[in-house]
Amino acid sequence: MGPTPIVELKNLTKTIRGKKIIDDLSLQLYPGQITGFLGPNGAGKTTTIRMMVGLMKKSGGEVVIDGQTLSADFEEALSKVGVIVENPEMYKFMSGYKNLLHFARMQKGITKERIDEVVKQVGMQNRIHEKVGTYSLGMRQRLGLAQALLHRPKFLILDEPTNGLDPAGIREFREYLRLIAKTENVSVFVSSHMLSEIELMCDRIAVIQNGKLVDLRDMSEPQEAHYYVEAFPADQTFELLGSLGFKSESVNEGFVIQAEKTKIPELVNALSTAGLELYAIQPHRKTLEDQFLELTGGGQLAETASK
Amino acid sequence: MLKLLQNEWMKLWSKKGTWIMAGLMVILIIAMAGIMKWSYSLMDDESDWKLSTQSELENDKNSLASGVLKGESKRLAEENLQISEYRLANDVAPLKDFSREGMIYNPSVGSIALLLTVIVAAGIVASEFSQGTIKMLLTRPVKRWKIMTSKYLAILLFGVLLMLIGFITTILSAFIFFPSEGGQALAISGGNVVEVSIWGHGLYILLLSFVNVIITATFAFMIGSVFRSSGMAIGLSLFIYFTGSVIVGLLSRFEIVKYLIFTHMDLTMYESNYILNDEITLSFSLVVLAVYLIAFLIVSYTVFTKRDITA
Repeated sequence: MGPTPIVELKNLTKTIRGKKIIDDLSLQLYPGQITGFLGPNGAGKTTTIRMMVGLMKKSGGEVVIDGQTLSADFEEALSKVGVIVENPEMYKFMSGYKNLLHFARMQKGITKERIDEVVKQVGMQNRIHEKVGTYSLGMRQRLGLAQALLHRPKFLILDEPTNGLDPAGIREFREYLRLIAKTENVSVFVSSHMLSEIELMCDRIAVIQNGKLVDLRDMSEPQEAHYYVEAFPADQTFELLGSLGFKSESVNEGFVIQAEKTKIPELVNALSTAGLELYAIQPHRKTLEDQFLELTGGGQLAETASK
Repeated sequence: MLKLLQNEWMKLWSKKGTWIMAGLMVILIIAMAGIMKWSYSLMDDESDWKLSTQSELENDKNSLASGVLKGESKRLAEENLQISEYRLANDVAPLKDFSREGMIYNPSVGSIALLLTVIVAAGIVASEFSQGTIKMLLTRPVKRWKIMTSKYLAILLFGVLLMLIGFITTILSAFIFFPSEGGQALAISGGNVVEVSIWGHGLYILLLSFVNVIITATFAFMIGSVFRSSGMAIGLSLFIYFTGSVIVGLLSRFEIVKYLIFTHMDLTMYESNYILNDEITLSFSLVVLAVYLIAFLIVSYTVFTKRDITA
């Protein structure tokens, strides 16, 4: 796993009226990596994020950002962080530019040139001097992103960032996040209800349930390699797979087998020499939704999905 | 801190409402002067100042002789008596209420400026919550007490600005609507009668009424930041502003009235001849007000800096 973490949650705990909302949560986030933060409603995602950005006080534990603890040096630690908490609510009665100016003044050393640069980056040059009240939701999201990027944060934290964006907007947003994670080596932490979204965007996911971290996994390396094989006739294919020592499971028109990548050419050869008509052979990955269901139990997912 | 104050100032003046309020104040002051001139022109004011001063002098003598006056009220009546005697002896006419000098001597911008400053003070924290911008504001690398201080300073600055605009408007309308009628304001200093500049006295009245602006606005600021509702803050602040003297009247028999904020809020009473309580002095009032002010600020700051933002 890459270099030293940029953000570290150490035994983070939040107790509200005797109830542990967040229970001893520890997590490390690394530069250049997008980490998804998943969990059913009420699991404590928003609470965790709010403790990380100083909106809520923690009851125990520590948040370390680039070597600075949040409790010891709030200003220094938070100056490394860019935040979008839910829908970015801007001052509607001011222009987009004045909003950016407002937030720029709250950071050290942001020049007018930097503001213009960010405005260009998010493609808002044409309308930046109009009042935010006249913006569409997509425009406001872009402005929200712009304010989070002004000070070139090393760490970007996003709570439900794509709420209310249309598919094109979501895609654009996702690609943009990937880009800055890669080019500027920014560590990104995204909480979302939209599993497919997280799946497409993240390198790694952390799953939280009842205030505890229940799973942390890398998306790039599937734990077990599965392949989907579709060939005709099906019963002969099944036999052949069996004779080659693959465990197969019937899915749709074909079979899912568990196999190493290196075995695949061999399999293709065997299929064609046996005279079977091969239609498809492709890596098969369980969707995040399947995994999430397994982890957290269906009941709570239903609640999640209804949001 | 200067940048934060700049931010608050920018937000304040980006709202249309602020400009409307400031404009409204200017219009109101001019209109009031116009109405005063009109109603004054209906009266035939050919009365002799010597006669009215004479009757005032008799009044003061009688009330002093009856022994109902105590403390500060008694002192004021004695001073007034001394001034009246001086005027008659030396033939020095007083200022007329409805004259250019009278208006500058006793400018009445306090209550309008107070109302408008209270509206701003009530909303400056509460509106961040109602707009949802509080989350954006507090996720910056700036400690909350600094944000709070910048907001409080913005209120004070706004109050000062309104008072100044109000005073300038008053001066302008005094010059536009009223002729100069001469007269000389007098006061007692060190037992002697001295002449008072109308400008100095006007500014002094402004300063005294500004104390009320600060107190009421700080109260509104506190309610607004504790309950996050500007409507409630405006309502409560104006309630105490308007009913304060009634409450003082109701409780006047009790010792505790000396320590109530209502008794002290209107410091201009020390320049008029009606003081709500016999046992208080200007410096005592200032001490009581300072205690309340600090308490309001402690509550505002504590609640704001400790609060979990969950909305």
